[in-house]
Amino acid sequence: MDLGGRLVLVTGASAGIGRETAIFLSECNARLILTARHGERLEQTASLLRAGDHRIEARDLTSTDEIPAWMKRVCEENGPLGGLVHCAGVHSAFPLRVLTTEKLESVMRINVSAALMLAKGFRQKGCSTAGSAMVLVSSVAGLVGEAGVAAYAASKAALVGLARSLAMELAGQGIRVNCVAPGFVETEMGGRLREALTPEQFQALEAKHPLGLGTPRDVAHGIGFLLAETSRWITGTTLVIDGGYTAH
Amino acid sequence: MGNSEFLAQLDELLELPAGTLKGPELLGSLEGWDSLAVLSFIAMVDEHFGQPVSPKAIVACKTVDDLGKLAGISAN
Repeated sequence: MDLGGRLVLVTGASAGIGRETAIFLSECNARLILTARHGERLEQTASLLRAGDHRIEARDLTSTDEIPAWMKRVCEENGPLGGLVHCAGVHSAFPLRVLTTEKLESVMRINVSAALMLAKGFRQKGCSTAGSAMVLVSSVAGLVGEAGVAAYAASKAALVGLARSLAMELAGQGIRVNCVAPGFVETEMGGRLREALTPEQFQALEAKHPLGLGTPRDVAHGIGFLLAETSRWITGTTLVIDGGYTAH
Repeated sequence: MGNSEFLAQLDELLELPAGTLKGPELLGSLEGWDSLAVLSFIAMVDEHFGQPVSPKAIVACKTVDDLGKLAGISAN
């Protein structure tokens, strides 16, 4: 999977799947623009990349209306994007009895609204190259029901539908749009989820993954595949990367 | 917030009539005290009492007063 000559924007690049994706894409010769809220953590990611003309853009994507103009500026400074990966997102475990509209909208804003506005920015003149691709990080939580995570599940399911619609809308511009749907991956976010479960609950979750728990690199491989020429005839789909969690 | 406010929040979370819980109640005897109640309790304590609580700590609790200690509340 050679991404030489491609400029790729990765959101959520400060940790977890976003960080590992950026590292892997640099190993595939991509030039990266790393974005997340915390510049210091982006610097740490940048230090792990294969050497290249990479850039850092500290940015709070919850200011969603500003995203298209920001992307326009980024592309004017760096050139059009050959890929965009939206890894930024939040997990939330709020059963219905404590779920509020405010909590729901907070999850939807970064997980879904930001994705939509990134797509809006990506399709602007000068912001994408022919044969470019967008990958959204969904979750098996958007495909399989688990109690207590309705807001998060809704946000991740929304990305699956969003990818299908965007695939149709952007095909004419030569932009492909797909999702990856990871199972439980050992990241900081995964660690917080582990802390939110009793040992018995976590063992039960682990047992639902026939191939065991995943690593960020497992997901990064799938993202790289969906960005590269290897998937030139794939759009509007969701690549499940979950160790078999959704197989039963 | 004090103990009375904590008990009121817990009454509401467990959908019990206001003033039901007093503190010494065994958690195992409470209808509705299940895994979703545990998740909800974590969210409630974080939002209203500013205390992060882990499920492991909750599992170690036997009574409503024990839960109150996790929220930084002293029983009356």
